[in-house]
Amino acid sequence: MGLDRLMLNAAAVTVAAVAGCGHGGDRPARLLDGRPAAEFAPVPGSVVATARVLQLSALADCLSISERATVPADTPVVERVGVSGRSLTFASRTRVFACDGGIDPAGERPAPWCGAVFGELEDGRPADPRLDVLCVDRAYEPLAYAFVDPVPGARWIGVRQDGYVELYEVLGGLPVRIATTCGIDLENDHAAFSVTQYDAEGRELLRGELEAAVAG
Amino acid sequence: MKAFIAALVAGFALSGVSGAQAYHRFWAGCNADPPTFMTTMTRDAAQTYANAARYEGYQWGGGCWNYDDVDSYPNDPPQQAGTHGEGGDCSGLAFKTWRESTDPTKDGRYYWYALRNVHGPYTAADFRAGYGAPNHTVAKATAGVMDAFASSTHIGLVFIRSLYGGDQIVEAKCETCGTNIFYRTYRGDSSYGGVGRWGWTG
Repeated sequence: MGLDRLMLNAAAVTVAAVAGCGHGGDRPARLLDGRPAAEFAPVPGSVVATARVLQLSALADCLSISERATVPADTPVVERVGVSGRSLTFASRTRVFACDGGIDPAGERPAPWCGAVFGELEDGRPADPRLDVLCVDRAYEPLAYAFVDPVPGARWIGVRQDGYVELYEVLGGLPVRIATTCGIDLENDHAAFSVTQYDAEGRELLRGELEAAVAG
Repeated sequence: MKAFIAALVAGFALSGVSGAQAYHRFWAGCNADPPTFMTTMTRDAAQTYANAARYEGYQWGGGCWNYDDVDSYPNDPPQQAGTHGEGGDCSGLAFKTWRESTDPTKDGRYYWYALRNVHGPYTAADFRAGYGAPNHTVAKATAGVMDAFASSTHIGLVFIRSLYGGDQIVEAKCETCGTNIFYRTYRGDSSYGGVGRWGWTG
């Protein structure tokens, strides 16, 4: 395959990914793990990603033994499972970590994890969204992950997907790891997330684009 | 007007860019040209490429520089890709020096010109883990010229190997220290691992 063909293919993937961010898709009935996709009534058409707090042993498949040894044993780990992505998030005093789920297109890492992310915290907030674009979903479409820093009072982080809004619950006082298959520009290592933050009753607190770049 | 200001504040809060779009426009002179597919890739040529990036600055998430030996926009706020200054960051410099593809499944050799603004899909942590088809981990004791040492937050390429504790490392280090060759002891630092690029032809 010649270079021109490669570049055209890459461009096509980019266009397809960005074009897939509209409102034309159907609301999925199930999450990645097969559980029914619940809806949060105040946000019509939403899909609630499951979230729960686990113990450190949940990181066994994601971090090496030596890396886990640097994390205190009582560190809470937040697991999230959405429609296309799943993640584990935990933090130390100065850094935030995530394991990103999906398929490693290079075939080097066994499922369910395809990336491990490390970011610095400044005053408890992530200094950078720590964009990860190395994973693909089950359809081998690009899958991007990033951190969102919840504003005070935020209970839900909504991410505009193709035809629905995926809701991530704020848990454990941690930045929220979100995922999307939309708005990914692989040629430029960027992704744009359409994000809305809601309070516990579903009232909008903040809405905007999160533009993230691979860095560091 | 209030709505506009609210939207502006919201955008900055979401992006974490803190108004950085108002920064300089070095990237305006960069390009998005496709890379040149190469059949060869020597460690000598990689040394030359990385050496030429010296003094050209550091930009978080960046990968675009010229060859005037001056950082056009030094001392930007750290960890803000939106400042759009000159230079690569640590992983961006490694990506371009190692002639990698933006597609992590491809291990071919892709030459990127200095003014091609590309960072690549890998962070320092990704390199450290050997993620991506072109990358792999190596024993630190055997890491040689144009292999690298990577931690979860930084990567530097071996410019000249030393047998006496440290190495001359070419790296994009930080906004205030730019891109240069520094004496470093990453080889003996437990937070760093050895990383290599498959496919050298000489």
